Amino acid sequence: MMGRTMFIDPGRCIGCQACVSACRECDSHRGKSMIHLDYTDEGSSVASLPTVCMHCEDPVAPCAEVCPADAILVTADGVVQQADTTRCIGCANCVNACPFGVPKIDLQAKLQLKCNLCYDRTAYGLAPMCATVCPTGALYYGTIEELQAERPGVQVADTFVFGESEVRTGVAMVVPAERVQWPVPGGLPVVEINGKDVRR
Amino acid sequence: MRPYGGRVTEPPEPAAAEQPEAGARTGTTGGTGTTGGPDGRRPGRGAAAAARAARSLPQSVSGRAALAGAVVSGLLILAIVFGSRLLHDFDSALLPYAVATVFLAFGVAYRYTVWVSAPGARRLFRNGWRSLFSAENFRRTPTALPKMIATYLGFQKFLGARSHARWAAHQLIFWGCILAALITFPLTWGWFTFTSDSGAGPGYAMRIWGIKVLGFDSLSFIGWVMFHGLDLAAVLVIPGAGYFLWRRMKDRGAITGQRFAYDMVPLLALIVISVTGLLLTFSSIFLHGGGYEFLAVLHMVSVVFTLIYIPFGKFFHIVQRPAAVGMQLFKYTARQDDEVFACRRCEEPIDTGPYVENLRGTMRDLELGFDAWAEYCPRCKRVLRGNAYLTQVKKGFK
Repeated sequence: MMGRTMFIDPGRCIGCQACVSACRECDSHRGKSMIHLDYTDEGSSVASLPTVCMHCEDPVAPCAEVCPADAILVTADGVVQQADTTRCIGCANCVNACPFGVPKIDLQAKLQLKCNLCYDRTAYGLAPMCATVCPTGALYYGTIEELQAERPGVQVADTFVFGESEVRTGVAMVVPAERVQWPVPGGLPVVEINGKDVRR
Repeated sequence: MRPYGGRVTEPPEPAAAEQPEAGARTGTTGGTGTTGGPDGRRPGRGAAAAARAARSLPQSVSGRAALAGAVVSGLLILAIVFGSRLLHDFDSALLPYAVATVFLAFGVAYRYTVWVSAPGARRLFRNGWRSLFSAENFRRTPTALPKMIATYLGFQKFLGARSHARWAAHQLIFWGCILAALITFPLTWGWFTFTSDSGAGPGYAMRIWGIKVLGFDSLSFIGWVMFHGLDLAAVLVIPGAGYFLWRRMKDRGAITGQRFAYDMVPLLALIVISVTGLLLTFSSIFLHGGGYEFLAVLHMVSVVFTLIYIPFGKFFHIVQRPAAVGMQLFKYTARQDDEVFACRRCEEPIDTGPYVENLRGTMRDLELGFDAWAEYCPRCKRVLRGNAYLTQVKKGFK
């Protein structure tokens, strides 16, 4: 986990889409929102989940590892940048390899786009656009100490499990204290799809 | 350049590194809550990391790359010697340029070999060639490849989808550089010669490898174009590179994360080459050769530097980009067979079946153990993760 980073608490998300609108204002991808806001159990629950790039640390950003054009660069401070426009060939390897489903692709422009933690802002110590406007603190930008000072007793996890594999990220999620010693389940293996048990 | 499987890092821009807040982010505060070894890592992950580290030192790859570089540069030296009729047509004044092209050949072959040895590139590279040499593909869609080369590499339609202004500027640079390369490379290698039977002209003959291919009057329009080809190239390149330089200083999107050596130096190099080249013509026409020698040295230094820089920086995309046609051909041929792979959950199309299998293979090569996840679309991955969080971590998000 990076020192000053994003903390996501889906329990606080009210699905207001303020982050989606604010993301469009980011200078590095003007007019296009890179944050995802998904309703995880649409029709029966109002629960929503905001997803920004998790800036994977271990293994080093799977999106960058599978890129055939070496287009995704990781800055020394751990921020996984969106694809270099000169190098990106629009193959979509990163889009489909990302375990968190973050990158987007413009097939016409043959260019990947993704959240870069508002590098134009965070490089100068400002919070990303989404965290700036989030009215409930579901997206919080700061250090773990600052978060815990504001929310006493809060615990976070930066390790996610996908099947047998674990991925440690630069961005962390808020978890209940009793769950803190376990990695956050990433959704794989998939247990059921549309009401059907798909375990083999 | 990164060894495959290695960390993809770039040195931070000095200005960005000086930002105190950016430095603060490099710290590794705790709070992760995960158990494991003294470094806070889980044992399983540590082993995988060690395996990846071992794989990131591919001595065989660097050896192969050095061999490829040596072979290609050796072949170029032979081509220069024989193409200039055993140096009979070689212009010794252009020796530094010729030497720079030999270094360029070594660097490009070396980096290309390292690049296509990485799992992601290697697999797409092979599949691209396989699609290209498939007789069946050629029978079915004989025009696919020429069309892709024209629209993708020549007219770069995809750049138009990014921005019309960037497309126009890039086209100027592209055609200017193509023109300059077609003139200068054969000239410096002694492949092209211009001879006059009457000594001072105006009748000239253009010879390739000593064989006359074109006779022209140097005072005619054709003659003017022949002798000012590089000036025309410079006139194309300067506005294109100038626009990109202006954009790099004004556009906040472009400024984000830009690095001087990677983003600015190539533009400055193109402008310096073009301007000094034009000044050489200016000197000979208007200054009776005043300052010509100094300008010639300045021009040569800038060209030599740029040629040697090509394998290491932004210009490597010139070599890399054509390989993307192979990737497109690979996807295109699978689409012709209706081999579309649909998301296992929502059944929205993800990509072609062979592409998804290729990606899963790449992920397995890289020991990314969640390759089965590639069979789900990004949205379903997020929703399934949200569901898992909702049911297993924070029940009801309470």
